[in-house]
Amino acid sequence: MKLEELFNAVRARGEGAHMAHVYYGDPCEDFSIKLIETLAENGADIIEFGIPFSDPIADGAIFQAACERALKAGVTPAKCIEGIKKLRDRGLKTPVILTTYFNIVYNMGLVNFLNKAKDAGVQGVLIPDLPIEEAQPLLELTRKLGLHLILQVAPTTSRERLSRILAEASGFIYLIGLEGVTGSKFRSKKTTATLIEKVKAETNIPVMVGFGISKREHAETLIAAGADGVVVGSAYARIYAVNITNPFERLSEIARLAREIKLGCIRGQKIKLNVSL
Amino acid sequence: MKGRFGIYGGQYVSEILMHALIELEEAFEKIYPSQEFQGEFQELLRNYAGRPTPLYYARNFSTLVGFKVYLKREDMVCGGSHKLNNALGQALLAKKMGKKRLITETAAGQHGLATVMAGNICELKTEIFMGVKDIQRQAANVKKMKLLGAKIKPVKIGAGVLKDAVSETLREWAACSRTTHYLMGSTVGPHPFPIIVATFQGVIGREIREQILEKEGRLPDAIVACGSGGSNALGAFKAFIEEENVRLYFVEGGGESLESENSAAAFQLGRPGVLHGSLMQVMQDPYGQIKPSKTRSAGLNYPGRGPEISYLCEIGRIKACYSFDNEVFDAVKVMARTEGLIPALETAHAIAYVLNHREEFSPGDIVVINYSGRGDKDMETILRYFYEA
Repeated sequence: MKLEELFNAVRARGEGAHMAHVYYGDPCEDFSIKLIETLAENGADIIEFGIPFSDPIADGAIFQAACERALKAGVTPAKCIEGIKKLRDRGLKTPVILTTYFNIVYNMGLVNFLNKAKDAGVQGVLIPDLPIEEAQPLLELTRKLGLHLILQVAPTTSRERLSRILAEASGFIYLIGLEGVTGSKFRSKKTTATLIEKVKAETNIPVMVGFGISKREHAETLIAAGADGVVVGSAYARIYAVNITNPFERLSEIARLAREIKLGCIRGQKIKLNVSL
Repeated sequence: MKGRFGIYGGQYVSEILMHALIELEEAFEKIYPSQEFQGEFQELLRNYAGRPTPLYYARNFSTLVGFKVYLKREDMVCGGSHKLNNALGQALLAKKMGKKRLITETAAGQHGLATVMAGNICELKTEIFMGVKDIQRQAANVKKMKLLGAKIKPVKIGAGVLKDAVSETLREWAACSRTTHYLMGSTVGPHPFPIIVATFQGVIGREIREQILEKEGRLPDAIVACGSGGSNALGAFKAFIEEENVRLYFVEGGGESLESENSAAAFQLGRPGVLHGSLMQVMQDPYGQIKPSKTRSAGLNYPGRGPEISYLCEIGRIKACYSFDNEVFDAVKVMARTEGLIPALETAHAIAYVLNHREEFSPGDIVVINYSGRGDKDMETILRYFYEA
């Protein structure tokens, strides 16, 4: 499914969107496949599919550990892309955003990386260490291939930069809701709401808020504040990481949280639209 | 392009940090040349750090190797290494920018020590990230940093070494960049750090130039410096890059051998890649996962070479060399016995290179070794090597 269609469908249903972020191969590929399917069946509208990297500088402790375990288990970028293909073959319809740090892309070669991603059934790519200053080559290539390069804005982004980023944005804007790393403690600050407003005022592209979101209330608050959706990642990894020798046992708990988050997305949207709950 | 050296350099960081890099670049361009900054900075370099450092003619060592060797005595900078040149500059800059706190990472402990010294002078709180393995092997410096009031943050992730500490400091910075300055210790990281650090360390080469002209009436034939990120080397080389007759030798940590997992020689084992915000020569596996480097010398234990050093190597302006751990320990002994000086293990890489590659120099040559630091911090490791092995 195309991202535009997805957002239209979600909006038509009166919901906020829920993107679930997973690092593939942690602790093994079979689990990641089941995890992604579980998330998609329980309220994740988009899958942010992470290729593990050795030095994930935008990620907190939970995702660092996830990357470390996945790499130890022998996952490679090629296996990750195979994993997406496998998911598509098994019937996954959910849009997939492929996320990884720039060195992985640089090593595969930009064109090669994007071609393989597209062949596997990816809708967009997100590179957390590629600010707009460095993004030009990927912007051009993704446009040519009909892929979205998902750009990020942060609480520290100046007005000037914001306009520059929004002018290049495609698919959706990933709004980093706090100053810190993934898996940080949720901080419902006025600044996040203000930033959401500021971005929404300047663009029609959907705005997804990420970092530090782990509960239904978080999703509800942010979407009520104007966001089109939320991103949840570390909160899912935290659940299976405590039972890493048999993470499959935790899938039902993960499904429960995914449904909760989705519920928050629905309630937030209702508050936003001023519909009685 | 801004912040690029050939293909190397750039700003590969999260959007969260871009404002801080832009702010830093603007502040550096405005504040660094100002009379007020220069006045205070030069005063600190002179009367606190102890600059200019001597250029010492090492007569006995010269006799041993068969050509003239001068030592640029950065070990005599207060704190025991060249690291203070940069720490003082950046701390003063941070203060003028209105920052309240410094964070940084350290491996050998020299940069951490220099940062807390500079932080205290500039009345800025200091927090230092250090890999658990490095905390263990550089215990003396850890004690000093604590005594000076730095908060030490042990880094357990990865191999618990410098690479992991840099990642952790970048993460911390993302959470506090409005009030806190990341005092980058080497010529690495996103633009403008490599330029700022090279500018502050450039004092080494400017002094060498002046001093050697005074002593010898001509420029040296070669400058030899150790490095990983490249701060002491680039500092020594900068004033000579346009001088084609001055050969520049960059000596990396060879570790035990060049076999994988046992070396830190990124120019031998690496290729271009992005780590910690910059495109540079870096050790990595076939897929682009960064490989941990390994050497007995904590200060050279970084898998990347800074962007400018990477570029100078690529265009053939510097020669990339390496020394192995055993050669390094032997070099410590030679320096101790000939000149009565105990070098840091990092510095001993440069000394070892000269000792083991005498054929690359002629009898009439004048060679300057950048004697980047003293070996007090390594005494335990050195004694264990010689008396317990």
